[in-house]
Amino acid sequence: MLKLAWQFKTAAVVLIVMQATLVAMALSGLGLTGLGIDVIRHHVQPDSTSPPHWPFGLAPPSDWPVLSMVAVLSGVVFVIATLRFGLDRAATIWKAKLVQSIIVHLRAQVYDKMQRLSFRFFDANESGSIINRVTTDVQSVRLFVDGVLVEGCMMALSLTFCLALMFKIHPWLTFWCLLTTPLLCMLTIVFSRIVRPAYQRSRQLFDTAVLVLSENVQGVHVVKGFGRQADQIRRFSQANYAYSQQQKWIFWRLAMFVPVINFLPQINIIVLLIYGGWLMIQGEISFGTGLVVFAGVLEQFSMQVGSIANITNSVQRSITGAQRVFEILDEPLEICSPPHAVAMPHARGRVRFESVSFEYNQQESPILSDINFEAEPGSTVALLGTTGAGKTTLLSLIPRFYDPQKGSILIDDQDVRNYNLDDLRHNIGVVFQESFLFSHTVAQNIAFGHPAASREQIESAAKIAAAHEFICKLPNGYDTPLSESGGNLSGGQRQRLAIARAILLEPPILLLDDPTASIDPETEEEILQAMTQAMDGRTTLIVAHRLSTLRRAKQVIVLESGRIVQHGTHDQLLQSQGHYQRAASLQIADDESKRLLGILRPVTKGSP
Amino acid sequence: MTRSTPTNTGEEHEHRQRPLQISLIKRLFGFTKLHARKRNWLLLITATHACQVPALSWAIAATIAGPINNKQLDEIILSAAGVTILAIITYVSWHFRMRLGLELGEAVVHDLRGHIFAHLQRMSMHFYDKTKLGRIISRITSDCEALRMGVQEVLVISLVQTGRMLIAAAIMLWYDWILFMVVLTMAPGLWLISQFFRGRLSHTWRNVQESFSRVTAALAESVNGIRVTQGFVRQDRNAEQFRDLVQNHSDHHLHAAQLTGVFLPLLEWNSQFFISILLLLGGYQVLAGGMLANADPNAQFESLVVFFFMVNLFFGPITVIGKQYNMALTAMAGAERVFALLDTKPQQLDRPDAILIPTIRGQVEFANACFAYEPETQVLTDINFVAKPGQTIAMVGPTGSGKSTIIKLISKFYLPTSGQILIDGNDLHQIRSPSYVRQLGIVLQQNFLFTGTVYDNIRVGKISATDDEVRDAARRLDCLDLIQSLPAGFNTEVGEAGGNLSLGQRQLICFCRAMLADPRILILDEATSSVDTMTEARIQRALAVLLSDRTSFVVAHRMSTIRHANEVLVLNEGKIVERGTHSHLLTADGLYANLYRQFIQTTDM
Repeated sequence: MLKLAWQFKTAAVVLIVMQATLVAMALSGLGLTGLGIDVIRHHVQPDSTSPPHWPFGLAPPSDWPVLSMVAVLSGVVFVIATLRFGLDRAATIWKAKLVQSIIVHLRAQVYDKMQRLSFRFFDANESGSIINRVTTDVQSVRLFVDGVLVEGCMMALSLTFCLALMFKIHPWLTFWCLLTTPLLCMLTIVFSRIVRPAYQRSRQLFDTAVLVLSENVQGVHVVKGFGRQADQIRRFSQANYAYSQQQKWIFWRLAMFVPVINFLPQINIIVLLIYGGWLMIQGEISFGTGLVVFAGVLEQFSMQVGSIANITNSVQRSITGAQRVFEILDEPLEICSPPHAVAMPHARGRVRFESVSFEYNQQESPILSDINFEAEPGSTVALLGTTGAGKTTLLSLIPRFYDPQKGSILIDDQDVRNYNLDDLRHNIGVVFQESFLFSHTVAQNIAFGHPAASREQIESAAKIAAAHEFICKLPNGYDTPLSESGGNLSGGQRQRLAIARAILLEPPILLLDDPTASIDPETEEEILQAMTQAMDGRTTLIVAHRLSTLRRAKQVIVLESGRIVQHGTHDQLLQSQGHYQRAASLQIADDESKRLLGILRPVTKGSP
Repeated sequence: MTRSTPTNTGEEHEHRQRPLQISLIKRLFGFTKLHARKRNWLLLITATHACQVPALSWAIAATIAGPINNKQLDEIILSAAGVTILAIITYVSWHFRMRLGLELGEAVVHDLRGHIFAHLQRMSMHFYDKTKLGRIISRITSDCEALRMGVQEVLVISLVQTGRMLIAAAIMLWYDWILFMVVLTMAPGLWLISQFFRGRLSHTWRNVQESFSRVTAALAESVNGIRVTQGFVRQDRNAEQFRDLVQNHSDHHLHAAQLTGVFLPLLEWNSQFFISILLLLGGYQVLAGGMLANADPNAQFESLVVFFFMVNLFFGPITVIGKQYNMALTAMAGAERVFALLDTKPQQLDRPDAILIPTIRGQVEFANACFAYEPETQVLTDINFVAKPGQTIAMVGPTGSGKSTIIKLISKFYLPTSGQILIDGNDLHQIRSPSYVRQLGIVLQQNFLFTGTVYDNIRVGKISATDDEVRDAARRLDCLDLIQSLPAGFNTEVGEAGGNLSLGQRQLICFCRAMLADPRILILDEATSSVDTMTEARIQRALAVLLSDRTSFVVAHRMSTIRHANEVLVLNEGKIVERGTHSHLLTADGLYANLYRQFIQTTDM
């Protein structure tokens, strides 16, 4: 992190100089005010006071009238204040610019890195926590720059200046007046240690309460359908109460700490009154430049000390945040192009799995074991299996979203790990179970993989995906912006856009991961047509349950617990007893119904 | 599924600030009644604390201006002792003021949150159709937070600050009224400056926040769509767009910095300017003997010193009160929204004289039932049918024909706009909802799971069920092994909204949930649509047994699943157009036969 700050060192040095000048100006303004008081006082009580103490031997000629001396002093105070105003403004802006350029730099870097991390990283980290890292945690790096480096320098500077000035007035007075300072520092640090975790806990408790509420709104039909209102009210009031209790705990401590921390400087003032008063009687310090200025500086001093707590707090917070940010930046790229990558302009589309085994992590049982099959260019392989059998995982190995632990996947007889990664993925079109659309326009979404695509290309992709018609009916046709994750489209429309997006690049290989899974069954038909057209002429691996699709596939693979249990054509599998036959029988219309419809001639039973 | 078009009620612009309204303040104050003791002590302590602060400053100033200036050591010590005692009292009362203020604020907001939640539970489905989740959440987050500020900050701090200002003014007035007049003339200027900049600043900060939420939204989209991004090799382009957003956010930050860069130094400059005036004017008065002929220069000098100490006590509150005023306006806007929500009357689904029905037999009858989400658009017209106990009724029809609405009426999410729904011959309106709903089991296409384990979620159907009962429900549905194969079996955390599980797994759990409830009436609305074919085959077989002694309503697209229904209702545009058994309808060769033919063509070999 310091290395990062080093990149901006010139700007930082300028900032420090500016801040030092500001502190000096503030204190000289205070000193001059004290001097003015002394001048007046000396005039009022000429016998009992020593003559005013002019700094730097700048005493005005003694024949000056007192009033013009005061006028000059107040003028100077005013001029300094005005200069300070200008400089303060410049420094604030300068600081903001410095901090912002660091943050923009860092955010962009983290974002870029994040995009290149493998799927494994996104599986292991919840999306919320990743988003947090890039936003809040970068924010905490900003806190470090702003709250620790800059504020720390500011504090060090003004403490030094204040101390110097106080020592100049009277060293022993300074000592006695600052006797409580170490106590103040200790208290603030101890307090922030106690309270910070308590605040975190309170934040979590509040999030729990909000979660209960949001679940109750989203799942209102479940709550009402099962008549669970009373339980839910109890659940919420527990969460609400827990949060309140935690807050109360914090409040009690806060209300102890704040007055005590503000009381300590008052002790300093009382010491000043007694000891300083005595010193003045002894004639060791003067009234204005001594006592009044001292009181002023003391106030500044305790203000700065009070901010120690803030800074130590910032140090802790920003360091944990920064650690997490740099964790991302240092995360190794698991999946990337090999050093001497093979280019792949346009694959023929032969896909072969050779004894492929895969597991997400060592503890769990393998997701896929010993998978072997080969897909001819342009042919269709259908995958069937129960929930969690490993169908989706099998597909994700082809574009190298993950790499298998054992065995290899070959495209055109070359291991996928040897290809240039971008080339490989350009050759593969993917449609996911629940397609994610971005909040761009329809056209931009279709052209997602190839932003420079022409309108003709986009439209022809849309036509193949049977999406052209409905797109034209949208308010602005292809330029209609989609709301967040395509919320203004129906499930079937979203999937057709996803299919158009996948085939825009004319990929020789197409992966369709059960595109109808999250679709209202009634609109399934819309997609089936789009899928059939898209598969034409491409090597297609498809997770499917529909007989019409399965029947058309050249090979059907039935997966169970990561193993291939049945493999063959539709007709072969239908003949042999097993999962496939059972699943198929559910979809096949019974003969009796067909007879009633007059589609099937009665063969075994009944008369016409 | 038929859904009313979203109306504008949820979309209207939300005011960030509202003018002060006595009625709202009164009502909010009413919430402190429950904590009256706390509140009264708070007000008392706040009032005394408001006097103590300026008194302390005055005591210090007077000690410096009096005994120290006059070099009287005895008096110095006496005054210092006085200052010490006063300081201790001040800081003790500060503790209580702070603690009571914070506690009162939290207590009020805690009560409000509870009220809001309980009220939401009583709201009808109509309300949820129209209101966005974000809006509802902000009622208990940002709006309640604004109200907390209203109670604990605005009330207490304004009181303290006003008291401080008045007493400082009185002391200065007493010492030297001419000098005080000069001080007074500067007050309005300070107020205007502070209000002007605060207005501009809050506007800019809003821009900062909005641009930041754009950054977060873009980021969230990138993270959620990362698989698509990588699959389509879009990283560079996204990074470019993201950089632009971040830069834009940073520009707003800079703008804010430019404003604070003027505002805060201006305040500081202002106080310096005042000190130089004080020096000049005070000096003139002391030296020229003041405007009052008999003024004693020594007394004049003393008041000058007191002024130096008191003047910040007078000016400080001006900017603080300005801030409090803005907070009060924000709190008003929050209060208005919160109370508007609390005042929304829930639609009464039960008649006041509704009866309890401990066990129903399960006869469901629709008698001329009509329904409309919005008055203009009729969704169901004259629906008539009788489901006898134990029968299975299937509903078929194109999208938007009203199947799901019938399901919702049976679930008593809504009441029919005209006509009746009779359960065992009793009007549903006349049956107490909890006693009825307890005997329903519902599995919908859109399933919702709560954060918690699989056990917790299945138990939603019957809170008191033991682990064995839960397992038994799964066993009866022939999906015990599927649930046990989850990473931690029944103890698997399903994640927020069931995010850790696949769609099919979520649906299985909802099935178990409905089974566990052991309902008299079972409703399956496209219940197996997300389950894969292999699993569906298993569930179908299990269901055949389970449906046998319950009245059940099935909406299913896969025609093969409704073949065995006692009656099939074919719906089109909100009306029943055909009815009868499967074979009867096929023979009739109407809409149903057509739909079935379509189905055969897509699936048959």
